[in-house]
Amino acid sequence: MRSFSLIDFVSLFAALRWTVALVVLALLLGAPLALGLALGRISRFAGLRWAMAALIQVIQSVPLLGLLFFFYFGMPVFLGVQVPALIAVTVAYTLYTAAFLGEIWRGGLEAVKQAQWEASACLGLSAWQQFRHIIAPQALRLSLPPTVGFLVQLIKGTSLASILGFVELARAGQVVSAATFQPLLTYALVAAIYFALCLPLTLWSRSLEARLDGSR
Amino acid sequence: MALVEIRDVRKTFGKIEVLKGVSLDVEEGEIVTIIGRSGSGKSTLLRCINALESVDSGEIRVEGQKVHAKMPDLKKFRQRVGIVFQAFNLFPHLKVERNITLAPLLTGRVEKAKARVLAEDVLTRVGLADKIDAWPEQLSGGQQQRVAIARCLAMAPHLMLFDEVTSALDPELVGEVLKVMEAMAEQGMTMILVTHEMGFARNVADRIVFMHQGRVWEQGPPAKLFANPGTPELKSFIASAK
Repeated sequence: MRSFSLIDFVSLFAALRWTVALVVLALLLGAPLALGLALGRISRFAGLRWAMAALIQVIQSVPLLGLLFFFYFGMPVFLGVQVPALIAVTVAYTLYTAAFLGEIWRGGLEAVKQAQWEASACLGLSAWQQFRHIIAPQALRLSLPPTVGFLVQLIKGTSLASILGFVELARAGQVVSAATFQPLLTYALVAAIYFALCLPLTLWSRSLEARLDGSR
Repeated sequence: MALVEIRDVRKTFGKIEVLKGVSLDVEEGEIVTIIGRSGSGKSTLLRCINALESVDSGEIRVEGQKVHAKMPDLKKFRQRVGIVFQAFNLFPHLKVERNITLAPLLTGRVEKAKARVLAEDVLTRVGLADKIDAWPEQLSGGQQQRVAIARCLAMAPHLMLFDEVTSALDPELVGEVLKVMEAMAEQGMTMILVTHEMGFARNVADRIVFMHQGRVWEQGPPAKLFANPGTPELKSFIASAK
């Protein structure tokens, strides 16, 4: 046992890098998938709509912890390969992000009036041009606040990766707490760091909401 | 050959047959006004002309080209046929200029350097040159509808369709939109309008088409039709529209 010192601070902030890295990876890989899922959900092909809905339903219905366990502990059992923790965790968070963001964006796309598609089609724009220039920008505005809300969920959700021994912020907190026997101080600090990470996003989301609601 | 040829067009939504064999020709430069009660198939017919709806049987030809939702050059076709909607349908996230120039730019009709001039030109034609940098929501309904007309004009269409374009407007704003349409009529634009504005139909249209129960019930020059309706249905419609 030793007292809480600068080194513990440093190790917490070093671990914070992994929290951020997980969030960035999940967004980088999950957002394009989410767009694909959202487009699939509003496709005119019923089969595709159905398949995307089923996929989203499954991912959303499994607890995030379940996804993590599945890819980390399940893969060796089912496929006989031991997946490195980083890859297992990244895949799990990517799917989680894709499913939830996909549904958020699908809602945004559907909230844009059908007449906007029609009006742009009548000006001779291709389906892609209609989406790119008319529908997507409006859907993005509508989806921004819930998207940021999900981002906050995701940041806090990365703490679950600690269960797989992944040393991100929460896991580093466990380690520091065990070494210093100062759980109260350590976890208060961990909580404060999560808070400092999420608060600006929440505020940003709220200001966006105010700005996008109604008139400019 | 007429600019628009409609031959025995039928269209069913679910179990309701909305168009029960409609035939109609519109000559180049002609202004045809379709009147009739709600549910008589006027708007559906208009939407079929630019392939927003596809017909179940019969055919529609515009400039000799058969129109349907899967026609190979639908996009090119739509550039030649403008439509203005009851609800304006401006793009709320784009300023007036961009509303107008987006389609001409994307379809290669105008170069970037000349786009603003094009917007200024068509806005002048609808009397809104000073609104080029406004957002749609800053405009009154009548102004928004005139921008929607300008947006169509920027594509230099050969035919313009108007679907009850004044129905969503406050009464005092109807006049400014009708005036723009009258000016277009004078410049020789071929126009097909669905409208409840009997005064406009009477004064500007070359021909009135009265639709009833999914059919062209009666048609002719406005003076004749309004003075001497040939069917009791038109007679009662005119009486109720007054």
